[in-house]
Amino acid sequence: MAAPKTPPILDDTLSFDAQGKYQRRVTYITTPEGVRLPFITATFAERLGAFILDYLIIIAAPVALILLFFILPFEQVDWKRAKGLGDILMILFFMAMFFVRTGYFMAFEMGPRAATPGKRVLKIRVIAHDGGHLTPVMVITRNMLREVEFYLPLTLMGMTMQGGGWVALSAFLWTLVLALLPLFNRDQARLGDFLGGTRVVHMPRQSLGIDLADTEADRRSGIMFSRAQIEAYGEKELGVLEEVLRERRPATMAAVATRIKTRIGWDDPKNTNDVPTDEAFLRAFYAALRAHLESRMLLGKRRKDKHDEVR
Amino acid sequence: MSDEDPAKPALQLKSQKFRDAREKDWRTLSRALDRLDQGKLNSFSTDELLNLPVLYRSAVSSLSMARSISLDRNLIGYLQGLCARAYMGIYGPHARFKDILTGYFGRQWPESVRRIGPEFLLSLACLVIGIVAGWLLCAGDQSWYSALVGEDMSGGRNLSASAADLKKTLEGSTDGLAVFSVFLMSHNTQVSIFAFALGVIAGIPTALLILHNGMLLGAMLWLFARQGLLVDFAGWLSIHGTTELLAIVLAGAAGFHMARRIMFPGNLTRKAALVDAGKLTGSVMLGVAIMLLLAGLLEGFGRQLITDTSARFGIGAVMLVTWTVYFTQVGRRLTLKFEEADHGRA
Repeated sequence: MAAPKTPPILDDTLSFDAQGKYQRRVTYITTPEGVRLPFITATFAERLGAFILDYLIIIAAPVALILLFFILPFEQVDWKRAKGLGDILMILFFMAMFFVRTGYFMAFEMGPRAATPGKRVLKIRVIAHDGGHLTPVMVITRNMLREVEFYLPLTLMGMTMQGGGWVALSAFLWTLVLALLPLFNRDQARLGDFLGGTRVVHMPRQSLGIDLADTEADRRSGIMFSRAQIEAYGEKELGVLEEVLRERRPATMAAVATRIKTRIGWDDPKNTNDVPTDEAFLRAFYAALRAHLESRMLLGKRRKDKHDEVR
Repeated sequence: MSDEDPAKPALQLKSQKFRDAREKDWRTLSRALDRLDQGKLNSFSTDELLNLPVLYRSAVSSLSMARSISLDRNLIGYLQGLCARAYMGIYGPHARFKDILTGYFGRQWPESVRRIGPEFLLSLACLVIGIVAGWLLCAGDQSWYSALVGEDMSGGRNLSASAADLKKTLEGSTDGLAVFSVFLMSHNTQVSIFAFALGVIAGIPTALLILHNGMLLGAMLWLFARQGLLVDFAGWLSIHGTTELLAIVLAGAAGFHMARRIMFPGNLTRKAALVDAGKLTGSVMLGVAIMLLLAGLLEGFGRQLITDTSARFGIGAVMLVTWTVYFTQVGRRLTLKFEEADHGRA
């Protein structure tokens, strides 16, 4: 855990998504070249969501198979004569059930995308924590541990509810701690992840937006800020401003522009034709603030937010 | 770009110049990764392939640069995603299938099994004690049999069955038995995975599980012995049983190993010990799954087609010898080399 004194924006265990929206925890992976690459850690909620989706598929599979059995023209078969066919169908059914119960997660995670369908929907995937290839052994270990993390608590819960007494209840609580392990560690890793040496990370499809700081246009518009006005804010506010400008909601922009104008003591020009639009004003302020903060940054002087001292 | 327009440079931020200069490379890399994701690796020319790691490294260096000079969150987020994707593209799960196979069967699997030798003996002891206990319990009091062997596992092999009935269950017949075999195979795999996973909880449940399975077997042995069919039953069992029981014992051993490493991590931190143990036991368990599949095939086909007891014993013995030789001998020289290399480094 990061010490509370560390400014959050400078804490390199945190990062933001492509929209610059909110800060998320990062898992560092050291690649074989020795580069520390930040990966956004998948949250417990994302992982639970993916698991529920996968589990729905696992439950739906036998139902689908049985439906298929009724749809296909099997009523034409004389079961007394085609005994072998019945056996083969039963074997196929058992095999399929076995695969779904035991092999589903392993097979998908060994694939090129290293993610089950549920994980793909939530844009998360499995990676090797040591920075190397994700090997089949890792995938197998992390998924076999599901037995103690999911099926065992479930069984024990059933036993508790059927009057298993204190023993069942305490065993259930113990295994529940194992199941909820992701909530109690920084990497949000479950037991299988620790044993397999894997982590689950969030990999959204990110696009590169335009650079919002258009100093050329700002010079033409003639909006200027004094140093004192710019120093009213820090990096955190710059991030919020970027988010507002990328979303471009008129109501939000108007509200933010009003607040900034009040805080920095900005006077709109007397001539109403010269009053910049909210967006133009915000963009100019963004560019000025970013230019200022980045130039200080080059000197190693960073200011996390407006409450931080001016450096 | 910025140099072409003499009026502009003074007003451009350093982070913007940086972005202008490198954006083209990022876009190229992103497009290449899209093609990789679509599985079009074969459509890459040699130059493009050679260029890929270069682009990857330049993107990674761009990221660390951007983190220290730019406050554009969108840019940093994009680069982070790009680098992560590129890393996946280059270090993803795709290794050459043949290399994985030879590496695993030629070295990794037997070596892992050898490394959990003491735990293997413990697990084997649990099974043997279970068998003996199961037999003795049933011999002492018949009612133990139905308590140990549930209805779904017995398949008609209960106390009231006559010698003829029991003999019939040992014969090769395809009547539903193939289905039963597949059911047993999936059951056994589940048992072994469970035995392994329970190792996390100090290993005691693993021991209990192995003991219970041993007792089940002991009880059945007793039932058949009572009717004078011990040899026939042992033959029926050995054709697949040597493989299957070995697999279950190995799974238990893997569970014990995990328990030991969690409780006594030695010189490593507990987390590091856990990862280490996970890798080792994971390799064992992958093999266990393969062994159980093989056992299922032997059970489903071999046992139905081969009804002669001595032939069944023969196959069972051959399998046992094969496994013993495989686990004790294969990959030894390579292991030695690795150890030497490790010592050399230290």
